Amino acid sequence: MSALLAKTLRSSTFKRALIWIGIFGAIVIALLGYVYWSTSAYVLSRADRAIAGEQTVLHRAYDAGGRSAMIAAIEQGVADERAVGMLYLLADPSFVPVAGNIKAWPSDRKAAEGWGNFSDRALKPDAADRPLLRATFETLPDGYHLLVGRDVGDLDAFARKVNTALALVVSLIFVLAGAAGVSVTRRTVRCIESIDATSRAIMQSGLGQRIPVHGTRDEWDQLAESLNAMLDRIEALMQEVKQVTDNVAHDLRTPLTRMRGRLERACNRPRSADRDQRLIDDTMTDLDDVLRMFSSITRISQIEARDRRAAFGVVNLAAIASEVVELFDAAAEENGTRLILTGEREVFVMGDRDLLFDALANLVDNALKHGRHGGEVTVDIVDRDDGAVLSVADNGPGIPAEERTRVLGPFYRLERSRSTPGNGLGLSLVAAVARLHAAHIELLDNKPGLKVLLQFPDKGKPAIERGAERRDLAAAAGPSSAG
Amino acid sequence: MTEVRRRILVVEDDPETGTQLVDSLVANGYQVDLTASGSDAMGRATSVEYAVITIDRMLPDVDGLAVMQSLREDGIVTPILIISALGEIDERVRGLRAGGDDYLVKPFAFTEMLARVEALARRNAAVFKETVLRVGDLEMDLISRTVRRSSREIKLLPREFQLLEYLARNEDRVVSRAMLLQHVWDLHFDPNTNIIDVYVARVRRKVDGQQAYPLIHTVRGVGYRVCAPC
Repeated sequence: MSALLAKTLRSSTFKRALIWIGIFGAIVIALLGYVYWSTSAYVLSRADRAIAGEQTVLHRAYDAGGRSAMIAAIEQGVADERAVGMLYLLADPSFVPVAGNIKAWPSDRKAAEGWGNFSDRALKPDAADRPLLRATFETLPDGYHLLVGRDVGDLDAFARKVNTALALVVSLIFVLAGAAGVSVTRRTVRCIESIDATSRAIMQSGLGQRIPVHGTRDEWDQLAESLNAMLDRIEALMQEVKQVTDNVAHDLRTPLTRMRGRLERACNRPRSADRDQRLIDDTMTDLDDVLRMFSSITRISQIEARDRRAAFGVVNLAAIASEVVELFDAAAEENGTRLILTGEREVFVMGDRDLLFDALANLVDNALKHGRHGGEVTVDIVDRDDGAVLSVADNGPGIPAEERTRVLGPFYRLERSRSTPGNGLGLSLVAAVARLHAAHIELLDNKPGLKVLLQFPDKGKPAIERGAERRDLAAAAGPSSAG
Repeated sequence: MTEVRRRILVVEDDPETGTQLVDSLVANGYQVDLTASGSDAMGRATSVEYAVITIDRMLPDVDGLAVMQSLREDGIVTPILIISALGEIDERVRGLRAGGDDYLVKPFAFTEMLARVEALARRNAAVFKETVLRVGDLEMDLISRTVRRSSREIKLLPREFQLLEYLARNEDRVVSRAMLLQHVWDLHFDPNTNIIDVYVARVRRKVDGQQAYPLIHTVRGVGYRVCAPC
């Protein structure tokens, strides 16, 4: 638990929360400060107006009837019920009080003129601390001193209240926000902790573990779900790799065993130039098969591990198709199959010519091998609104619906094709090339026969002009190969 | 002059493969220097004029790519054949970009290697300006794209013409299937089928059918050779 707390306090989320708590605290302090400042300014200005009004009354009395009239006015003011809190003091030139409700001229204000604040303990002995008084000080023409003031002690009380509120609010903010920060951070830390623990467990004991999903459908659940989906995918891939490895081991061991047996037998037999020559020839053919299979496997894994689209350019799918058809024309002729190219002549996609050629060659090769002898193989290219579509169809026996997805995996071969040459990698290479091109691959029933459909994403469109330009350049550059 | 043309530098760090390379090159009339180190290769290549350099990608001291780059920077234009166990798709492009002229993936047939070395060695020697190629009684007009044998015209598809032209240009030399794919179809992979053989068989029917002697000969396990009675 204390480890979790320590982690919480160390976490970046918590540090960030602290910064925000600080910022909010500062804003609250500023806000209360402003309230205090504006309220006290208001109270002071009200007091000042009252004092100035009273002073005017006294001056008028002085102007009209001299000092005695002023004393009368002062006494009237002192007696006035409405003017609670007003202070008056008239003192002679040596500051001896003559009239008013203050007992003595404030000792520290003898030289004062104009506005000022002072405190007088004697005036309010019951006040908790020094009472705040505001007053004007002036010296009349006859040398007497006049003080008109007002008790602004309530302002002081207000300031204290504001201070208390400030202290309370700030400490409340820090405590609550701190607690909220800790709890939010702790949740984050706990969620990350569980992901961390799961990944550690996976490293130690394999891909069986999954990150717990709490069913709250929040972002943590989302993260856990996508991480789990990723783990599922990895597990599936690992399984696939294992399957492939087993198949490879089988398909490689068979010819290797054959070769080893052959050599062993030859080793124990008397030499015979004729037989040895045959043995060497057979062994080299077998070895070539093994190497070819090996290079197919590495090729597929290279395509799958490839930096996506690094070598992509605008290519004319129809031109590639026509080259493939031309290349296989002889082979089709040989087994009496009609190989036909239909559809558009210019269909541009973003892609890698070599890989697309390879994939299409594999599809045509498959169609010729597994289609009906004397039948028909159709390669069709259509530029649909949602992207280019390439299809290769034969009218042979086709593939049963339930086996169609499996034939795309490496080394999968239908039972009946075990006997025909090939290593079961052709369609998985096509699938790998399709994945690299973000093309969707689909195996359909051609009634009868198999139709393989490659649906390219709608990305080649904006590049059509560039592609056409490239073609023109190519045509202008060298002796035409498309004559 | 011919002496210089026939000298080959083999850069290969596996002793057995190195010896095999040297043996098969010597058996075909080349004079061969073998080295296992990249820096030594750089020294030799700058002081001796070789016809061809074959270089392994993974050397104990320097990467084969770095050797090629530094040679090209020094202005050495000797054709280089990269021989590497690294896969072909992206590595081939990187190798050719670094200044290699051809790329051969291990394991390879020695006949394939010899065919490629021969093609590279010759690239330096001759520039073709002919407009008509002749092999025996075969006559290829490169301008009008027509083919005749003993004055009888043979109809070929454009790609078939290209194939025959490539074979004829390499008269008396072995041309591998991979080289045909590379030069006639501009493809850099092995389609893993006998498709090239089927294609050549058709060209051969057209070119050699009902003629006094065959021109296109199969070289078992490697590819083809065009020669007048040989």
